[in-house]
Amino acid sequence: MKPSISRCLALASVAAAAAGVMSAARPQYGGTLRAELEAVVSTLDPAHAAADQKDEAARARIVPLVFETLTVVQPEGLQPLLATAWESDAHGSRWRFRLRPNLVLHDRKLLEPWQVAESLRGAEPSWKVAPEGDAIAIDTGEPVPDLPWALAAARYAVAVRGSGGASIGTGPFRIDHVDASRVLLKAHEPYWRARPFVDAVQIDMGRRLDAQLTDLEGGRADIVSIRAIDSRRLGRRGLHVEASRPLELVALVFEPHRAGDAALAWRRTIAATINRDAICTVVLQGNGTPAQSLVPDWLSGYARVVAASVGPTLSAAAVAALPIDQKTIVLRVDPADAVTQAIAERLAVDAREAGFVIRVQAPIGLAPRADARLVRVAMPATTADRAFVQAIGRLAVRGLPPTPLPPGSMLEATYQAEQAAIDPLVVVPVVHLAELYGIGDRVGASVNGAARPTGGWNLADLWLQGGKP
Amino acid sequence: MTLRARLFALVALVVAISVTLATITISAAARRSFEEVDRQRTRAVLTQFRREFALQAEDVARRIDRLAASDAVQRVAVDIGRRGDAAPFAAEAAPLAAAQGLEFVDLVAADGTIISSAEWPARFGYRQPWVSSLRVRSDAFLQPIELPRETALGLVAVRQVSSGSRPLYIGGGRRLDQQFLRTLTLPDDMRALLYRNVEPEVSSQQLVDVSGQAPPSARFEPLIARVRQTAQEITETLDAADGRESVTGIPLAGPRGDVLGVLLLASSGRELAALLSRIRWSGIGFGALGVVVGAALSYAAATQVTRPVEQVADAAAQIAAGDWDVRVGDVQASREITALAGAFDTMAVQLVDQRVRLVQAERVAAWRELARRLAHELKNPLFPLRITLDNLRRARTLPASEFEEVLDESLATLETGLKNLNVVVGRFGDFARMPAPVFEDVSPNAIVEQTIRLVRAQIETAERPPIRIALDLDPACGTLRADSEQLGRVMQNLVLNAVDAMAKGGELTIRTVPEGGGVRIDVADTGEGLTAEERERLFTPYYTTKQHGTGLGLAIVQSVVADHSGRVWVDSVPGRGSTFHIELPRTPPDVGKGVPA
Repeated sequence: MKPSISRCLALASVAAAAAGVMSAARPQYGGTLRAELEAVVSTLDPAHAAADQKDEAARARIVPLVFETLTVVQPEGLQPLLATAWESDAHGSRWRFRLRPNLVLHDRKLLEPWQVAESLRGAEPSWKVAPEGDAIAIDTGEPVPDLPWALAAARYAVAVRGSGGASIGTGPFRIDHVDASRVLLKAHEPYWRARPFVDAVQIDMGRRLDAQLTDLEGGRADIVSIRAIDSRRLGRRGLHVEASRPLELVALVFEPHRAGDAALAWRRTIAATINRDAICTVVLQGNGTPAQSLVPDWLSGYARVVAASVGPTLSAAAVAALPIDQKTIVLRVDPADAVTQAIAERLAVDAREAGFVIRVQAPIGLAPRADARLVRVAMPATTADRAFVQAIGRLAVRGLPPTPLPPGSMLEATYQAEQAAIDPLVVVPVVHLAELYGIGDRVGASVNGAARPTGGWNLADLWLQGGKP
Repeated sequence: MTLRARLFALVALVVAISVTLATITISAAARRSFEEVDRQRTRAVLTQFRREFALQAEDVARRIDRLAASDAVQRVAVDIGRRGDAAPFAAEAAPLAAAQGLEFVDLVAADGTIISSAEWPARFGYRQPWVSSLRVRSDAFLQPIELPRETALGLVAVRQVSSGSRPLYIGGGRRLDQQFLRTLTLPDDMRALLYRNVEPEVSSQQLVDVSGQAPPSARFEPLIARVRQTAQEITETLDAADGRESVTGIPLAGPRGDVLGVLLLASSGRELAALLSRIRWSGIGFGALGVVVGAALSYAAATQVTRPVEQVADAAAQIAAGDWDVRVGDVQASREITALAGAFDTMAVQLVDQRVRLVQAERVAAWRELARRLAHELKNPLFPLRITLDNLRRARTLPASEFEEVLDESLATLETGLKNLNVVVGRFGDFARMPAPVFEDVSPNAIVEQTIRLVRAQIETAERPPIRIALDLDPACGTLRADSEQLGRVMQNLVLNAVDAMAKGGELTIRTVPEGGGVRIDVADTGEGLTAEERERLFTPYYTTKQHGTGLGLAIVQSVVADHSGRVWVDSVPGRGSTFHIELPRTPPDVGKGVPA
C-alpha cells in the first residue's frame, strides 16, 4: 500500500470517528425512551390522592411530563410555569395568577383560564377559583401566604377533560396508552417550550429495583431508579448516575418505651456513636449527606445550626454495667428497603463499639416489639415548614409532644419547631438521601440532566443516540 | 424345712453362684476389651481429624494465595496506594469470598482498619485485630471471627499484597463448625462435637454436633472447662441418656497457643452396655434354666428319698387320726427306707392287736366293775332280806301272835329292801337310757342361779359345816342353744360334788365367762382336791371316791357336755381344792342331732 493511500485512509478514519463523536454530542430527535418505575400507578389524574409514598413518588415522576402546574420549585427558588406572575391581598387569602398566553393543550386547543379554574377547583373544592380575563382568581378563605409554593405540587397540575373524556394537559408529553404495567407517552409537538427530543416515552411499572438495575445494565431500559448502594456498580460499568438534591431523610426513631427523659443519656450515647460520614461515604457510596436536622439544608438554610441537646453520655463502664435488656436494642427496618438495612447494620457496628448490641429486625410478619425504628421518609421540594410538617408526620414519632406549625410559618418558627423535635433525641436524623437515576448508554447528554434537582424526571431534555440530528 | 426344699435350695444356690461368677468374669473381660478398642478408635478419629484439619488449612491458604494474586485485589491495592481512598472498595470482599468459596474475607489496610469485610460488610473502618497482627504466618490457623450476631471459629490465612509503601492485607477462611465435623468418618457408636471457645465462659451455644444443633451440654461443660484450663487432652466417662459415654476432649490451639476450640469425641457405651446386658441376661437365663433343671433333678432325687418317708409319715398321721387299718406296704426305696416301712407296718399291726386286747381288757374291767358295783349295791339291800327270811323261818315255831308280829315286821323290811333294789336298778337304768338333749335358747347364768336355788337348802343345813357360795356370772354370756334340764342336772352334780368335797366347809365359787364362740362355766371348791390318779379316772362310769356314790354323776356330766359338743375338764391341787370347767358352744355344730325345742 502506498503511503499516500494509507494516509488518506487514516484521515478518513479520523474524520469518521470525529463525525460519530459530534453526532453523539449533538441533540437528536426521535426514538422511544424506556423508563421504569417500581410502583404501579393506577391513574394519572393529578387531583387523585396518592396511595402511599411509592405511589406518590411514581406520580411525581410521570404527572409533570403530562400536566403542568402554575408554579415550579427550582433549586434557586419558586419559578413561574403556567403562570407568569401572581399577587395577593395583605392577608394572603385572595390570589390572582396571570396565565402564560398561548398555551396549547394536547388536543392542540388553547388552554383557557376557565379550564385552569375548573382544574384547581377539582383539586381543592374548598377554594373559590374563577377566571378573570387572562388570569384566575383564587379565594382560599383562610390565609395561605405560601400558596404559590403549594401550587407547585403535582396535585395542582392543570388537567383538562379532553374531547374523548381523557385528561389532557399542556406538558411535553401526551398520554397515548395506559395499562396495568405500562404507560406510553408521545411527544407533544406544539409544547410551549419546545418539542421533546424523543418521540415517545415508554414507562414500565411494577419493576423491582434490582430488576430495573439489571434492565439498565442489559440495555433494556434507558432510565431507572437506583439505590445508593448500587451506584458504584453502575459507575464501574460505565453507566451514568444522576441525582437530585437530598429529598429523603433517614432517621432513627425511638419507640415510646425508650423515649422517656430517664433514657435521655442512654439515647444520647447511642446517637453519639453514629458515624454519619462513614455511612455517607461507604455505605451510600457518596450519595448521602450527613443529617443533623430533619429538613435538608438546601431547603431550610438553617440545618447547620440545628443540633440535639448537649449533655452527658454514658461511659463505656456505665454501658457495660447496664442490664442486658438495656444494652440490647432491637432496631426495626423496612424489609423491602435494602438501603435502610445497610445503614442499620452500620449503626449496629458503631453502637457495638460503645458496648451496645443493636439487633436489626426486618420483619416480614409479626415480630417482637422493637426499641427503635430506622425510618426513611420522602420530603417535597418546597418550603422548609411544609417539608418539616410532612417529614415529622411521616416519621410517626410517638412519645414526642406535637409541634404545631401552620402553613406559611416564618423560617424562625420552623427552626424552633424542628429544634424542639430534635432536642429530646427521640428522633435522631442520620442521613439525607437524593433520588438517584441510572442513565443508559443510549441516552445522550443533556444540559439540564435527566434528573430534576427537585425530584422527578426531566425527560423532555433528553435525546437518544441514533436519532435524527 | 423339708428335705426336698433343702435339696432344691442347695442346687439353686450352687447354680446361681456358678452362673454369677461366670457372668462377672465375662463382663469384666468384655469391658476391658471394649475400653481398649475405644481408645484405639479415638486415636484413629483424632488422626483423621488432624489430617482433615491440615487439608482444610492447606486449601484455605491456597485460596487466599489466589486472592492475593488476583487482578481484583492487586487493582484495589494499587488504587488505594495511589489515591489513599479506600471507601470505593468497601464492597470488594464479598465477591472475592464468593469467587473462592470462602466464608470470611477481609481486606485490611496497613493501619489495621478494615477496608472491606465479606462476613460483616458494615464493619469497614474499624480495626481488624487478627489480620494485621498475624500477617507473618504462612499457614492457616484457628482464629475467632467476629460476626454481626456471633463470634465464629474460623480456619483462616493472611497474606500481604504489595502496593508500594502502603501494604494491603487480605485474610480469610472458613468456619470450623458442623461442616467440618461432617468430613470425619466416624464409627456408628462414636460422635464428634466441637466446642468453639470464643466466649469468656463456657457457653452451651458454642457446642455443635454434625447436625449443627447444640446438643444438651451441661454434662460436657466440666470436661470442656478442664480442657480449656489445662490445654491437655482429657478423657472422662459421662452419663448419657442411653448409658455411659466415654468422652475425650482434645484442645484446638490458636496461633498463640491459646485454646480456641475443644474437639469432643464421644464413644457411646451403648454397644458395651448391650453386650453386658446380653451377658447378664444370658447369665440370668442360664441360671434360671439351671435352677429349673436343678429343681427338677433335685425333686426327682428327693422324691426317691422322701416319698417312702412321706408314706410312712402319712400312715402314722392316719393312725393317729384313728385309722388303724392303714399300712405303708411295699415301697420303691432304698433298703433302709424299705426296712423302715416294714417296721412301721409291723408296729401298726402290733398296735392294733394291743388296742384290741386293751379294749377287751377294758370291757372285762368295766364288766367287772359293773358286777362289783351291782354286787355292792345289791348286797346291802339283799342282806336285810336274807336276815328277814331267816327270822321268818325261825318265827314259825313261835306262837301265832308273835309270828304275826314278826311277819308284819318282816314284810315291812322286805318291802323296804325291794324298794331299795328298785332304786338301785332305776339308777343304772337311767344312766343306760340317757335321753337326747332338747335344744333351746337358755341362759347359762339363769341355770346356775336356778341350780343354786334348788341346792341352797341342802347346802345350808345345820349338820354341814358352813359353805360360802360365790357367784361370778358375766351378763355378756347371754344365751346359748342347750337342753336346760340336762344342763341343770350337770350343774347339780357338779355343785353337789363340790359340796361333798368340802367336808370341813369352805367356799363354792361358780363363774361364767364368755370365751371364744361360747361360754365357759367354772365350778370351784376349796376341798381336799384330787390326786392325779383320781383326776384321770374321775369321769369313768361307776368310779367314785365317795362312800355311798354310784360313780355315775360325773359320767352323766361328761355325757351331757359331749352331747352339747362341749368339753369338760378339771384342774385340781391336792389340799387346795378342785375346779371343774365346762366349755359350751353357743350353737352346737351337730345341733340337728338333738331334738329341737
